[in-house]
Amino acid sequence: MSQILHADSQAPVTLGRLDSKSGKADISTGQRGKWWRFLLILVVTLLIIAPIIAVVVLSTQPSQSTSSATGFTLANYVFVFTQTDVLLWLQNSIIVALATVIVAVAVAAPAGYVLSRVRNRLVSGYSLILFVIQSLPVVTAVIPLFITFSVLGLTNTLASVAIVYIGSTMSVAIWMMAAYIDSIPISLEEAAWMDGASVFGSFTRIVMRNSLPGILSTAIFSFLLAWNDYLIALIFLQDQSVYTLPKGLETFFQQNATDWGSVMAVAVVMMIPPVIVFAFLNKYFSVGGIGGSLAGR
Amino acid sequence: MTATNAVEGLKRARRGVGVAGRGPATPSPRGRQGRTTLGRSWGTLTAFALPSLILLVLLNLFPVIYAFLQSLQNGTPSTLPWEADFVGLQNYVTVLTSPQFWQAAEFTLVFTIVGVFGSWIVGLGLALLLRTRIPANTVFKVLLLLPWIVPIVVSSTAWNWLVATPQSPLPVLFSWFGLDNVNFLGDPLLAQILVCVFKVWISFPFMMMMMSAALASVDTNVYEAARVDGANSWQTFTGITLPMISRSTYIAWILMTIFCVNDFPTIFLLTQGGPVNATTTLIVLAYQYAFQNLQTGIGTAIAFIMTAVLVLISVVLYRQIKKVNIE
Repeated sequence: MSQILHADSQAPVTLGRLDSKSGKADISTGQRGKWWRFLLILVVTLLIIAPIIAVVVLSTQPSQSTSSATGFTLANYVFVFTQTDVLLWLQNSIIVALATVIVAVAVAAPAGYVLSRVRNRLVSGYSLILFVIQSLPVVTAVIPLFITFSVLGLTNTLASVAIVYIGSTMSVAIWMMAAYIDSIPISLEEAAWMDGASVFGSFTRIVMRNSLPGILSTAIFSFLLAWNDYLIALIFLQDQSVYTLPKGLETFFQQNATDWGSVMAVAVVMMIPPVIVFAFLNKYFSVGGIGGSLAGR
Repeated sequence: MTATNAVEGLKRARRGVGVAGRGPATPSPRGRQGRTTLGRSWGTLTAFALPSLILLVLLNLFPVIYAFLQSLQNGTPSTLPWEADFVGLQNYVTVLTSPQFWQAAEFTLVFTIVGVFGSWIVGLGLALLLRTRIPANTVFKVLLLLPWIVPIVVSSTAWNWLVATPQSPLPVLFSWFGLDNVNFLGDPLLAQILVCVFKVWISFPFMMMMMSAALASVDTNVYEAARVDGANSWQTFTGITLPMISRSTYIAWILMTIFCVNDFPTIFLLTQGGPVNATTTLIVLAYQYAFQNLQTGIGTAIAFIMTAVLVLISVVLYRQIKKVNIE
């Protein structure tokens, strides 16, 4: 840390570099410092992601129980897809995650608009409610919802978990949308209103049309929440036919002698969607936005 | 996006605001009219906010009120509110006088402190390192986010594999250093260390992202000024960098505190709260009471006490942010 700052303070500062992007450009040292840091970060990164690399490697190794051979094999994948319910659980997970994303974005976008554009007591009260809800533990809400859903006959359905996910993603989703809409100048809308557009018109034609990054970050957030959840699935889903992947993965663990090859194959299947989403869309995902909107109100 | 801007520009040009909308705006009349449109459309705005409000009330507020009612009753997860006995604050008394609760509270505190500051230190360190010019900078950024992106069920599986049996990689590694039979899941202290390290491992990418965003907004001019004044690198760090990112740091701490206290799967998937309840946090205890012992009243009472403390901590930190903002 100190090394970097030292380097930083010695870097020549020229006027051309003093814009907002200057941070990176200014911190330039000799080749040696650069390679030293490169090696450091390489080693640290490898250490950190070693468990994840292990998952991928183990999923392609033959299981000890069935054969003694070593080497690359896809037998584990063939096994979990043909002999177990993994395909069904994958389908369940996708349905639940997509339903959550669609409803969350559709509801949070207009709500975020109100939060961003309107300044009055009602809206500050609304924003306070969001803040309080965010700090409530899921467990408190889950127990009553479990009872309510039993009365309604909703437990053990994919709908039940999707509804709970929508509820738990809502407050953050609204904040994220509000934070993004804050960055769209209101003057654009004012111009449209001058020409007789309604608020609904300016919302759909100006704000939504320019909000793709905001919508994508909200969608990614909701998707990850739904895809990665374990607690809700653990409580609400008892029947193997409605398991989502996290709950399904548990069935692979045995008391003794877990078949690590199959477990890791399912684990790889589970982590592919989030990793792909991030690899392609990570530039749309800014956590700073959430924090900023939280503190700004 | 560009199409819309072009259309806007045209409209503004037509109104004579400036050529292609670039000229000086005439704010006052337009602004007032704009506000009126927004002010007059309260119907639309209500319709915008209503669905979210209904969902928030039904899925967040109603359950919490219901849960509070349950915490005053002696019920199981399958009893309806009017079927259960009303016991008043008895559950709270039971909880607050049980040693199990205090043991869990203590570990929750440790887990949260290690989780928040551990992930902050690692995240900030990596954010500082990644801010410098390094080959394949972006690749590292994405790779380092992996622990946070990968589903918790997957990462706990990986960590489980690392420590599950004496033949697993970590115990074998320890035996090379003369420490035989290291049983991470069987020894209370080791299990506690394991879940704390696991939590830091999961959470640091979040801190790294928050701190990277904060560092990017620090004006590099200030560093130059500090250099001229003869500050060394540590002084620059504590005197300039830390204060300049303090607002983001407080926000990150608040969020991470909430994440840590409310974190159920990290612990449950790795140790189930064991061995001998050593890694049971309040939320795990609440789950165990509500769904394993079927004492919903006690479970919700624990959750409520936990929430009250959490809200208190959030409010204190939130005030701190406001203070920083004013300064």
